[in-house]
Amino acid sequence: MEWTDIIITAIKTAVIYLGMVQVVPIMLIVERRGAALMQDRPGPNRVGPFGLFQPVADVIKMMMKEVTIPRQVNKALYLLGPFLVLFPASLVVAALPFGDFFTVFEKNYPLQVANIDVGVLYILAIGSLGIYGILFGGWASNNKFSLMGAMRSSSQIISYEIPLGLAACSAVLWYGHFNLREMVYTQEGTLMGVLPNWGIFYQPLGFLLFFISAFAETNRLPFDLPETEAELVAGFHTEYGPMDFGTFFMAEYMNMATMSGLMVAMYFGGWHLPWISDATLLQWLGSRNLLAALQVLSVVVKISFFMLVFVWVRWTLPRFRFDQLMRLAWRNLIPLGLINLVITAVIMYFRGAA
Amino acid sequence: MREILFVAFSLFTIGAASGVFLARNPVYSAFSLILSFFGLSGLYLLWGSTFMAMIQILIYTGAIVVLFVFVVMLLNLQVNRENPSNLLTLGISAGAVWFFSLILLRVLTRAIPNKIPEIPTDQLRTISKLLFTRYLWPFEVLSLFLLVMIIAIFAITRTQEIPHGGEQR
Repeated sequence: MEWTDIIITAIKTAVIYLGMVQVVPIMLIVERRGAALMQDRPGPNRVGPFGLFQPVADVIKMMMKEVTIPRQVNKALYLLGPFLVLFPASLVVAALPFGDFFTVFEKNYPLQVANIDVGVLYILAIGSLGIYGILFGGWASNNKFSLMGAMRSSSQIISYEIPLGLAACSAVLWYGHFNLREMVYTQEGTLMGVLPNWGIFYQPLGFLLFFISAFAETNRLPFDLPETEAELVAGFHTEYGPMDFGTFFMAEYMNMATMSGLMVAMYFGGWHLPWISDATLLQWLGSRNLLAALQVLSVVVKISFFMLVFVWVRWTLPRFRFDQLMRLAWRNLIPLGLINLVITAVIMYFRGAA
Repeated sequence: MREILFVAFSLFTIGAASGVFLARNPVYSAFSLILSFFGLSGLYLLWGSTFMAMIQILIYTGAIVVLFVFVVMLLNLQVNRENPSNLLTLGISAGAVWFFSLILLRVLTRAIPNKIPEIPTDQLRTISKLLFTRYLWPFEVLSLFLLVMIIAIFAITRTQEIPHGGEQR
Protein backbone atom coordinates (compact mmCIF):
# COMPACT_ATOMS: atom_id res chain seq x y z
CA MET A 1 0.00 0.00 0.00
CA GLU A 2 1.47 3.30 -1.07
CA TRP A 3 0.80 6.67 0.46
CA THR A 4 -1.48 7.64 -2.44
CA ASP A 5 -3.60 4.56 -1.65
CA ILE A 6 -3.87 5.59 1.97
CA ILE A 7 -4.83 9.16 1.09
CA ILE A 8 -7.38 8.12 -1.52
CA THR A 9 -8.90 5.53 0.81
CA ALA A 10 -9.11 8.13 3.56
CA ILE A 11 -10.81 10.62 1.25
CA LYS A 12 -13.17 7.95 -0.02
CA THR A 13 -14.10 6.94 3.53
CA ALA A 14 -14.69 10.55 4.53
CA VAL A 15 -16.82 11.26 1.45
CA ILE A 16 -18.95 8.14 1.87
CA TYR A 17 -19.40 8.69 5.58
CA LEU A 18 -20.19 12.38 5.29
CA GLY A 19 -22.49 11.58 2.40
CA MET A 20 -24.41 9.19 4.57
CA VAL A 21 -24.62 11.77 7.36
CA GLN A 22 -26.37 14.09 4.90
CA VAL A 23 -29.28 11.68 5.10
CA VAL A 24 -30.17 13.29 8.42
CA PRO A 25 -30.88 16.89 7.34
CA ILE A 26 -32.45 15.72 4.10
CA MET A 27 -34.73 13.35 5.93
CA LEU A 28 -35.65 16.04 8.45
CA ILE A 29 -37.23 18.12 5.72
CA VAL A 30 -38.51 15.15 3.71
CA GLU A 31 -40.22 13.69 6.71
CA ARG A 32 -41.89 16.93 7.75
CA ARG A 33 -42.96 17.91 4.26
CA GLY A 34 -43.95 14.33 3.53
CA ALA A 35 -46.13 14.26 6.63
CA ALA A 36 -47.69 17.54 5.57
CA LEU A 37 -48.33 16.20 2.09
CA MET A 38 -50.07 13.12 3.41
CA GLN A 39 -52.12 15.14 5.88
CA ASP A 40 -53.09 17.75 3.31
CA ARG A 41 -51.41 20.74 4.97
CA PRO A 42 -48.50 22.92 3.79
CA GLY A 43 -45.92 21.86 6.37
CA PRO A 44 -42.79 23.88 7.18
CA ASN A 45 -42.45 26.23 4.17
CA ARG A 46 -41.20 29.50 5.70
CA VAL A 47 -37.43 29.03 6.02
CA GLY A 48 -35.77 29.45 2.65
CA PRO A 49 -37.25 28.47 -0.72
CA PHE A 50 -39.94 25.79 -0.19
CA GLY A 51 -38.81 25.58 3.42
CA LEU A 52 -35.60 23.90 2.33
CA PHE A 53 -33.56 25.49 5.11
CA GLN A 54 -35.87 24.12 7.77
CA PRO A 55 -33.31 21.44 8.85
CA VAL A 56 -30.76 24.18 9.49
CA ALA A 57 -33.25 26.00 11.67
CA ASP A 58 -34.13 22.78 13.47
CA VAL A 59 -30.51 21.96 14.20
CA ILE A 60 -29.73 25.51 15.34
CA LYS A 61 -32.67 25.30 17.68
CA MET A 62 -31.45 22.01 19.12
CA MET A 63 -27.92 23.31 19.52
CA MET A 64 -28.99 26.53 21.20
CA LYS A 65 -31.27 25.00 23.78
CA GLU A 66 -29.98 24.62 27.27
CA VAL A 67 -28.52 21.22 28.06
CA THR A 68 -30.03 19.88 31.22
CA ILE A 69 -29.07 16.70 32.95
CA PRO A 70 -31.78 15.55 35.34
CA ARG A 71 -30.64 14.95 38.87
CA GLN A 72 -31.91 11.39 39.26
CA VAL A 73 -30.00 9.91 36.32
CA ASN A 74 -27.03 7.58 36.32
CA LYS A 75 -24.77 10.13 34.76
CA ALA A 76 -22.16 7.96 33.03
CA LEU A 77 -24.58 5.70 31.20
CA TYR A 78 -27.02 8.54 30.57
CA LEU A 79 -24.37 10.51 28.72
CA LEU A 80 -23.08 7.41 26.96
CA GLY A 81 -26.52 6.36 25.69
CA PRO A 82 -26.88 8.55 22.57
CA PHE A 83 -23.34 7.74 21.48
CA LEU A 84 -23.88 4.03 21.90
CA VAL A 85 -26.71 4.43 19.40
CA LEU A 86 -24.90 6.66 16.95
CA PHE A 87 -21.62 4.75 16.96
CA PRO A 88 -22.88 1.46 15.48
CA ALA A 89 -25.15 3.37 13.12
CA SER A 90 -22.06 5.11 11.75
CA LEU A 91 -19.95 1.96 11.63
CA VAL A 92 -22.31 -0.11 9.52
CA VAL A 93 -22.08 2.36 6.63
CA ALA A 94 -18.62 0.92 5.95
CA ALA A 95 -19.94 -2.29 4.44
CA LEU A 96 -22.41 -0.80 1.97
CA PRO A 97 -21.34 -1.04 -1.67
CA PHE A 98 -22.00 2.15 -3.65
CA GLY A 99 -20.49 1.15 -6.93
CA ASP A 100 -17.96 -0.94 -8.74
CA PHE A 101 -14.63 0.87 -9.07
CA PHE A 102 -13.28 4.30 -9.69
CA THR A 103 -9.89 4.93 -11.18
CA VAL A 104 -7.28 7.37 -9.96
CA PHE A 105 -3.77 7.33 -11.41
CA GLU A 106 -4.44 4.10 -13.33
CA LYS A 107 -5.46 2.31 -10.17
CA ASN A 108 -8.84 0.92 -9.25
CA TYR A 109 -10.46 1.64 -5.92
CA PRO A 110 -13.72 -0.04 -4.88
CA LEU A 111 -16.59 2.33 -4.11
CA GLN A 112 -17.02 0.96 -0.64
CA VAL A 113 -15.26 1.79 2.59
CA ALA A 114 -14.37 -1.79 3.43
CA ASN A 115 -15.02 -4.83 1.28
CA ILE A 116 -15.81 -7.14 4.18
CA ASP A 117 -15.99 -10.81 3.38
CA VAL A 118 -19.02 -11.31 5.60
CA GLY A 119 -20.65 -7.97 4.82
CA VAL A 120 -24.22 -9.01 5.56
CA LEU A 121 -23.23 -10.46 8.91
CA TYR A 122 -21.19 -7.37 9.71
CA ILE A 123 -24.15 -5.08 9.13
CA LEU A 124 -26.53 -7.26 11.09
CA ALA A 125 -24.05 -7.74 13.94
CA ILE A 126 -22.91 -4.16 14.36
CA GLY A 127 -26.37 -2.83 13.59
CA SER A 128 -27.81 -4.87 16.43
CA LEU A 129 -25.56 -3.06 18.91
CA GLY A 130 -27.50 0.19 18.68
CA ILE A 131 -30.02 -1.31 21.04
CA TYR A 132 -27.55 -0.95 23.92
CA GLY A 133 -27.68 2.80 23.65
CA ILE A 134 -31.45 2.67 23.96
CA LEU A 135 -31.30 0.14 26.78
CA PHE A 136 -28.64 1.88 28.84
CA GLY A 137 -29.96 5.33 28.07
CA GLY A 138 -33.48 4.31 29.03
CA TRP A 139 -32.33 2.60 32.19
CA ALA A 140 -29.96 5.37 33.25
CA SER A 141 -32.72 7.97 32.87
CA ASN A 142 -34.23 6.45 36.01
CA ASN A 143 -37.73 7.09 34.80
CA LYS A 144 -40.29 4.35 34.45
CA PHE A 145 -41.43 5.53 31.04
CA SER A 146 -37.87 5.50 29.77
CA LEU A 147 -37.33 2.06 31.23
CA MET A 148 -40.52 0.77 29.64
CA GLY A 149 -39.40 2.17 26.31
CA ALA A 150 -36.01 0.52 26.65
CA MET A 151 -37.56 -2.81 27.59
CA ARG A 152 -39.93 -2.67 24.66
CA SER A 153 -37.12 -1.73 22.33
CA SER A 154 -34.93 -4.61 23.41
CA SER A 155 -37.62 -7.26 23.15
CA GLN A 156 -38.80 -5.86 19.84
CA ILE A 157 -35.36 -5.67 18.27
CA ILE A 158 -34.39 -9.14 19.48
CA SER A 159 -37.63 -10.60 18.13
CA TYR A 160 -37.38 -8.95 14.74
CA GLU A 161 -33.73 -9.81 14.33
CA ILE A 162 -34.79 -13.42 13.79
CA PRO A 163 -36.98 -12.90 10.69
CA LEU A 164 -34.43 -10.37 9.46
CA GLY A 165 -31.67 -12.92 9.88
CA LEU A 166 -33.73 -15.68 8.29
CA ALA A 167 -34.48 -13.52 5.27
CA ALA A 168 -30.80 -12.61 5.01
CA CYS A 169 -29.91 -16.32 5.34
CA SER A 170 -32.15 -17.20 2.40
CA ALA A 171 -30.58 -14.44 0.34
CA VAL A 172 -27.09 -15.58 1.29
CA LEU A 173 -28.01 -19.13 0.38
CA TRP A 174 -29.34 -17.94 -2.96
CA TYR A 175 -26.28 -15.92 -3.88
CA GLY A 176 -23.84 -18.31 -2.26
CA HIS A 177 -22.04 -15.35 -0.74
CA PHE A 178 -21.93 -13.31 2.44
CA ASN A 179 -20.15 -10.58 0.54
CA LEU A 180 -22.41 -7.74 -0.56
CA ARG A 181 -20.25 -6.92 -3.59
CA GLU A 182 -20.46 -10.47 -4.88
CA MET A 183 -24.21 -10.37 -4.36
CA VAL A 184 -24.47 -7.24 -6.46
CA TYR A 185 -22.27 -8.74 -9.19
CA THR A 186 -24.60 -11.73 -9.55
CA GLN A 187 -27.59 -9.41 -10.06
CA GLU A 188 -26.38 -8.06 -13.38
CA GLY A 189 -28.34 -8.71 -16.57
CA THR A 190 -31.93 -9.68 -17.12
CA LEU A 191 -34.20 -12.46 -15.98
CA MET A 192 -35.97 -14.21 -18.89
CA GLY A 193 -35.23 -11.16 -20.99
CA VAL A 194 -37.91 -8.95 -19.42
CA LEU A 195 -37.19 -8.38 -15.78
CA PRO A 196 -33.96 -7.09 -14.34
CA ASN A 197 -31.99 -9.88 -12.75
CA TRP A 198 -32.61 -8.60 -9.24
CA GLY A 199 -32.87 -10.48 -6.00
CA ILE A 200 -36.44 -9.45 -5.34
CA PHE A 201 -37.66 -11.62 -8.20
CA TYR A 202 -35.90 -14.63 -6.73
CA GLN A 203 -36.61 -13.90 -3.08
CA PRO A 204 -39.95 -12.06 -2.97
CA LEU A 205 -40.99 -13.52 0.38
CA GLY A 206 -37.51 -12.95 1.78
CA PHE A 207 -37.67 -9.33 0.72
CA LEU A 208 -41.07 -8.85 2.33
CA LEU A 209 -39.81 -10.30 5.61
CA PHE A 210 -36.67 -8.21 5.45
CA PHE A 211 -38.67 -5.11 4.66
CA ILE A 212 -41.09 -5.56 7.58
CA SER A 213 -38.31 -6.42 9.99
CA ALA A 214 -36.30 -3.40 8.88
CA PHE A 215 -39.08 -1.14 10.14
CA ALA A 216 -39.02 -2.85 13.50
CA GLU A 217 -35.24 -2.78 13.71
CA THR A 218 -35.11 0.94 13.09
CA ASN A 219 -37.96 1.67 15.53
CA ARG A 220 -40.04 3.22 12.80
CA LEU A 221 -43.78 3.40 12.68
CA PRO A 222 -45.81 1.17 12.64
CA PHE A 223 -43.34 -0.40 15.07
CA ASP A 224 -42.21 2.63 17.09
CA LEU A 225 -43.39 1.11 20.35
CA PRO A 226 -40.24 2.18 22.26
CA GLU A 227 -41.21 5.84 21.91
CA THR A 228 -44.98 5.84 21.75
CA GLU A 229 -45.83 9.34 22.81
CA ALA A 230 -49.40 8.41 23.66
CA GLU A 231 -48.37 5.79 26.18
CA LEU A 232 -44.80 6.46 27.29
CA VAL A 233 -44.40 10.27 27.00
CA ALA A 234 -41.43 9.87 24.64
CA GLY A 235 -40.19 6.41 25.56
CA PHE A 236 -36.49 5.91 26.05
CA HIS A 237 -35.54 9.52 25.31
CA THR A 238 -38.01 11.16 27.68
CA GLU A 239 -35.29 12.53 29.96
CA TYR A 240 -32.90 13.58 27.24
CA GLY A 241 -32.03 17.12 26.34
CA PRO A 242 -32.16 18.71 22.87
CA MET A 243 -29.03 17.48 21.14
CA ASP A 244 -29.03 14.08 22.83
CA PHE A 245 -32.46 13.61 21.37
CA GLY A 246 -31.00 14.87 18.11
CA THR A 247 -28.31 12.20 18.33
CA PHE A 248 -30.91 9.47 18.76
CA PHE A 249 -32.69 10.92 15.76
CA MET A 250 -29.53 10.99 13.66
CA ALA A 251 -28.89 7.37 14.49
CA GLU A 252 -32.43 6.43 13.55
CA TYR A 253 -32.12 8.05 10.14
CA MET A 254 -28.72 6.57 9.52
CA ASN A 255 -29.99 3.14 10.45
CA MET A 256 -32.85 3.62 8.02
CA ALA A 257 -30.39 4.54 5.31
CA THR A 258 -28.24 1.50 6.07
CA MET A 259 -31.23 -0.82 6.03
CA SER A 260 -32.29 0.72 2.73
CA GLY A 261 -28.77 0.28 1.40
CA LEU A 262 -28.80 -3.34 2.48
CA MET A 263 -32.14 -3.92 0.77
CA VAL A 264 -30.84 -2.24 -2.38
CA ALA A 265 -27.72 -4.37 -2.41
CA MET A 266 -29.47 -7.63 -1.61
CA TYR A 267 -32.75 -7.34 -3.47
CA PHE A 268 -32.60 -4.42 -5.88
CA GLY A 269 -29.47 -4.99 -7.85
CA GLY A 270 -27.20 -2.63 -5.95
CA TRP A 271 -25.55 -0.22 -8.36
CA HIS A 272 -26.87 -1.93 -11.52
CA LEU A 273 -29.26 -0.08 -13.74
CA PRO A 274 -32.15 -2.24 -14.85
CA TRP A 275 -31.79 -3.93 -18.26
CA ILE A 276 -28.41 -2.37 -19.06
CA SER A 277 -25.22 -4.23 -18.26
CA ASP A 278 -22.20 -2.41 -16.92
CA ALA A 279 -20.11 -3.38 -19.94
CA THR A 280 -22.58 -1.71 -22.33
CA LEU A 281 -22.72 1.37 -20.17
CA LEU A 282 -18.95 1.55 -20.09
CA GLN A 283 -18.92 1.41 -23.88
CA TRP A 284 -21.42 4.27 -24.09
CA LEU A 285 -19.81 6.46 -21.49
CA GLY A 286 -16.26 5.58 -22.35
CA SER A 287 -14.95 6.38 -18.92
CA ARG A 288 -14.71 4.29 -15.80
CA ASN A 289 -15.17 7.22 -13.47
CA LEU A 290 -18.28 8.39 -15.30
CA LEU A 291 -19.68 4.89 -14.95
CA ALA A 292 -18.79 4.93 -11.25
CA ALA A 293 -20.63 8.23 -10.82
CA LEU A 294 -23.67 6.78 -12.56
CA GLN A 295 -23.53 3.73 -10.30
CA VAL A 296 -23.37 5.87 -7.18
CA LEU A 297 -26.30 7.86 -8.50
CA SER A 298 -28.22 4.64 -9.09
CA VAL A 299 -27.61 3.46 -5.52
CA VAL A 300 -28.52 6.87 -4.10
CA VAL A 301 -31.77 6.98 -6.08
CA LYS A 302 -32.70 3.50 -4.91
CA ILE A 303 -31.88 4.30 -1.28
CA SER A 304 -33.86 7.54 -1.54
CA PHE A 305 -36.83 5.56 -2.80
CA PHE A 306 -36.74 3.34 0.26
CA MET A 307 -36.36 6.34 2.55
CA LEU A 308 -39.50 7.79 0.97
CA VAL A 309 -41.26 4.47 1.56
CA PHE A 310 -40.27 4.71 5.22
CA VAL A 311 -41.97 8.10 5.45
CA TRP A 312 -44.92 6.97 3.36
CA VAL A 313 -45.56 3.94 5.58
CA ARG A 314 -45.15 6.04 8.68
CA TRP A 315 -48.10 8.23 7.78
CA THR A 316 -50.19 5.42 6.35
CA LEU A 317 -50.28 2.65 8.92
CA PRO A 318 -51.39 3.02 12.53
CA ARG A 319 -49.14 1.85 15.33
CA PHE A 320 -49.29 -1.77 16.40
CA ARG A 321 -50.23 -2.83 19.89
CA PHE A 322 -47.38 -4.53 21.70
CA ASP A 323 -48.89 -8.02 21.80
CA GLN A 324 -49.80 -7.71 18.12
CA LEU A 325 -46.21 -6.72 17.40
CA MET A 326 -44.85 -9.79 19.18
CA ARG A 327 -47.41 -12.07 17.60
CA LEU A 328 -46.55 -10.78 14.15
CA ALA A 329 -42.90 -11.61 14.69
CA TRP A 330 -43.11 -14.95 16.43
CA ARG A 331 -46.22 -16.51 14.91
CA ASN A 332 -46.16 -15.10 11.39
CA LEU A 333 -42.80 -13.79 10.29
CA ILE A 334 -40.52 -16.43 11.81
CA PRO A 335 -42.45 -19.43 10.43
CA LEU A 336 -42.60 -17.69 7.05
CA GLY A 337 -38.87 -17.05 7.24
CA LEU A 338 -38.20 -20.71 8.00
CA ILE A 339 -40.44 -21.80 5.13
CA ASN A 340 -38.64 -19.40 2.82
CA LEU A 341 -35.30 -20.77 3.94
CA VAL A 342 -36.36 -24.37 3.32
CA ILE A 343 -37.83 -23.53 -0.09
CA THR A 344 -34.64 -21.73 -1.07
CA ALA A 345 -32.54 -24.65 0.12
CA VAL A 346 -34.63 -27.15 -1.85
CA ILE A 347 -34.43 -25.04 -5.00
CA MET A 348 -30.70 -24.64 -4.57
CA TYR A 349 -30.34 -28.40 -4.12
CA PHE A 350 -32.15 -29.22 -7.34
CA ARG A 351 -30.55 -26.37 -9.24
CA GLY A 352 -27.16 -27.60 -8.12
CA ALA A 353 -28.02 -31.14 -9.19
CA ALA A 354 -29.14 -30.08 -12.66
CA MET B 1 2.26 -5.36 14.86
CA ARG B 2 0.38 -8.63 15.19
CA GLU B 3 1.91 -9.30 18.58
CA ILE B 4 1.12 -5.82 19.83
CA LEU B 5 -2.46 -6.12 18.68
CA PHE B 6 -2.77 -9.56 20.20
CA VAL B 7 -1.53 -8.34 23.57
CA ALA B 8 -3.74 -5.25 23.35
CA PHE B 9 -6.88 -7.23 22.55
CA SER B 10 -6.06 -9.83 25.19
CA LEU B 11 -5.50 -7.25 27.89
CA PHE B 12 -8.68 -5.46 26.85
CA THR B 13 -10.67 -8.71 27.00
CA ILE B 14 -9.24 -9.72 30.35
CA GLY B 15 -9.65 -6.25 31.81
CA ALA B 16 -13.25 -6.00 30.67
CA ALA B 17 -13.95 -9.52 31.90
CA SER B 18 -12.58 -8.61 35.32
CA GLY B 19 -14.93 -5.66 35.27
CA VAL B 20 -17.81 -8.12 35.09
CA PHE B 21 -17.20 -9.38 38.61
CA LEU B 22 -15.56 -6.28 40.02
CA ALA B 23 -18.42 -3.93 39.20
CA ARG B 24 -20.95 -3.58 41.98
CA ASN B 25 -23.78 -2.54 39.73
CA PRO B 26 -25.10 -5.44 37.62
CA VAL B 27 -25.70 -3.08 34.70
CA TYR B 28 -22.02 -2.10 34.70
CA SER B 29 -21.18 -5.80 34.81
CA ALA B 30 -23.25 -6.36 31.71
CA PHE B 31 -21.53 -3.44 30.03
CA SER B 32 -18.13 -4.92 30.83
CA LEU B 33 -19.29 -8.23 29.45
CA ILE B 34 -20.13 -6.53 26.16
CA LEU B 35 -16.71 -4.91 26.04
CA SER B 36 -14.99 -8.20 26.75
CA PHE B 37 -16.93 -9.86 23.92
CA PHE B 38 -15.64 -7.12 21.67
CA GLY B 39 -12.10 -7.88 22.70
CA LEU B 40 -12.70 -11.54 22.00
CA SER B 41 -14.12 -10.69 18.61
CA GLY B 42 -11.01 -8.62 17.94
CA LEU B 43 -8.89 -11.67 18.72
CA TYR B 44 -10.89 -13.70 16.22
CA LEU B 45 -10.36 -10.98 13.64
CA LEU B 46 -6.67 -11.01 14.34
CA TRP B 47 -6.64 -14.73 13.70
CA GLY B 48 -8.32 -14.03 10.36
CA SER B 49 -11.67 -15.56 11.17
CA THR B 50 -14.02 -12.75 10.26
CA PHE B 51 -16.97 -15.10 10.35
CA MET B 52 -16.38 -16.13 13.95
CA ALA B 53 -15.80 -12.53 14.95
CA MET B 54 -19.09 -11.41 13.45
CA ILE B 55 -21.03 -14.36 14.85
CA GLN B 56 -19.52 -13.62 18.25
CA ILE B 57 -20.90 -10.09 18.13
CA LEU B 58 -24.19 -11.04 16.49
CA ILE B 59 -25.11 -13.87 18.86
CA TYR B 60 -23.47 -13.01 22.16
CA THR B 61 -23.35 -9.25 22.17
CA GLY B 62 -26.37 -8.64 19.98
CA ALA B 63 -28.74 -11.15 21.48
CA ILE B 64 -27.69 -12.96 24.62
CA VAL B 65 -26.30 -10.06 26.63
CA VAL B 66 -29.32 -7.99 25.58
CA LEU B 67 -31.43 -10.58 27.35
CA PHE B 68 -29.16 -10.41 30.41
CA VAL B 69 -29.48 -6.66 30.51
CA PHE B 70 -33.20 -6.98 29.93
CA VAL B 71 -33.61 -9.25 32.94
CA VAL B 72 -31.31 -7.15 35.13
CA MET B 73 -33.24 -4.00 34.32
CA LEU B 74 -36.68 -5.57 34.49
CA LEU B 75 -36.06 -7.08 37.92
CA ASN B 76 -34.35 -3.83 38.90
CA LEU B 77 -31.58 -5.65 40.73
CA GLN B 78 -30.22 -3.51 43.50
CA VAL B 79 -26.65 -2.34 43.70
CA ASN B 80 -24.67 -4.95 45.55
CA ARG B 81 -23.57 -3.12 48.67
CA GLU B 82 -21.67 -6.03 50.15
CA ASN B 83 -17.96 -5.97 49.89
CA PRO B 84 -17.33 -8.09 46.83
CA SER B 85 -13.81 -9.04 47.82
CA ASN B 86 -14.69 -11.42 50.62
CA LEU B 87 -12.54 -14.48 50.95
CA LEU B 88 -14.80 -16.96 49.22
CA THR B 89 -15.24 -14.80 46.12
CA LEU B 90 -11.57 -14.08 46.05
CA GLY B 91 -10.74 -17.75 46.41
CA ILE B 92 -13.09 -18.80 43.66
CA SER B 93 -11.87 -16.04 41.36
CA ALA B 94 -8.25 -16.89 42.00
CA GLY B 95 -8.96 -20.56 41.39
CA ALA B 96 -10.76 -19.79 38.17
CA VAL B 97 -8.02 -17.47 36.99
CA TRP B 98 -5.38 -20.07 37.77
CA PHE B 99 -7.30 -22.83 36.02
CA PHE B 100 -8.01 -20.83 32.92
CA SER B 101 -4.50 -19.47 32.78
CA LEU B 102 -3.23 -23.03 32.72
CA ILE B 103 -5.58 -23.89 29.87
CA LEU B 104 -4.67 -20.68 28.08
CA LEU B 105 -0.98 -21.36 28.47
CA ARG B 106 -1.43 -24.90 27.22
CA VAL B 107 -3.49 -23.77 24.25
CA LEU B 108 -1.21 -20.89 23.41
CA THR B 109 1.99 -22.90 23.51
CA ARG B 110 0.40 -25.60 21.41
CA ALA B 111 -1.73 -23.67 18.98
CA ILE B 112 0.41 -20.71 18.06
CA PRO B 113 3.28 -21.81 15.90
CA ASN B 114 6.16 -19.52 15.17
CA LYS B 115 4.77 -18.60 11.80
CA ILE B 116 1.38 -17.08 11.18
CA PRO B 117 -1.12 -19.94 11.01
CA GLU B 118 -2.65 -20.81 7.70
CA ILE B 119 -6.03 -19.17 7.24
CA PRO B 120 -8.43 -21.20 5.13
CA THR B 121 -9.41 -19.11 2.12
CA ASP B 122 -12.96 -20.39 2.22
CA GLN B 123 -13.56 -20.58 5.94
CA LEU B 124 -17.33 -20.59 5.72
CA ARG B 125 -17.36 -23.68 3.55
CA THR B 126 -14.78 -25.33 5.78
CA ILE B 127 -16.74 -24.60 8.92
CA SER B 128 -20.05 -25.76 7.49
CA LYS B 129 -18.56 -28.91 6.02
CA LEU B 130 -17.00 -29.87 9.35
CA LEU B 131 -20.17 -28.96 11.19
CA PHE B 132 -22.32 -31.16 9.00
CA THR B 133 -19.97 -34.10 8.66
CA ARG B 134 -17.49 -34.70 11.43
CA TYR B 135 -19.24 -32.74 14.14
CA LEU B 136 -22.83 -33.44 13.07
CA TRP B 137 -23.60 -35.65 16.05
CA PRO B 138 -22.40 -33.28 18.82
CA PHE B 139 -23.99 -30.39 16.94
CA GLU B 140 -27.39 -32.08 16.87
CA VAL B 141 -27.10 -33.21 20.48
CA LEU B 142 -26.31 -29.67 21.54
CA SER B 143 -29.29 -28.23 19.69
CA LEU B 144 -31.53 -30.89 21.21
CA PHE B 145 -30.08 -30.01 24.60
CA LEU B 146 -30.98 -26.35 24.08
CA LEU B 147 -34.49 -27.33 23.02
CA VAL B 148 -34.91 -29.45 26.16
CA MET B 149 -33.75 -26.51 28.24
CA ILE B 150 -36.32 -24.21 26.65
CA ILE B 151 -39.11 -26.71 27.24
CA ALA B 152 -37.95 -27.22 30.82
CA ILE B 153 -37.96 -23.50 31.49
CA PHE B 154 -41.45 -23.21 30.08
CA ALA B 155 -42.58 -26.11 32.23
CA ILE B 156 -41.13 -24.54 35.36
CA THR B 157 -42.23 -20.95 34.83
CA ARG B 158 -45.65 -21.46 33.32
CA THR B 159 -47.51 -22.95 36.24
CA GLN B 160 -50.87 -21.60 35.23
CA GLU B 161 -52.70 -22.21 32.01
CA ILE B 162 -53.90 -19.13 30.18
CA PRO B 163 -57.70 -19.19 30.50
CA HIS B 164 -59.41 -20.02 27.28
CA GLY B 165 -60.09 -17.03 25.05
CA GLY B 166 -58.63 -14.64 27.60
CA GLU B 167 -55.67 -12.90 26.05
CA GLN B 168 -55.90 -14.28 22.54
CA ARG B 169 -57.75 -12.11 20.14
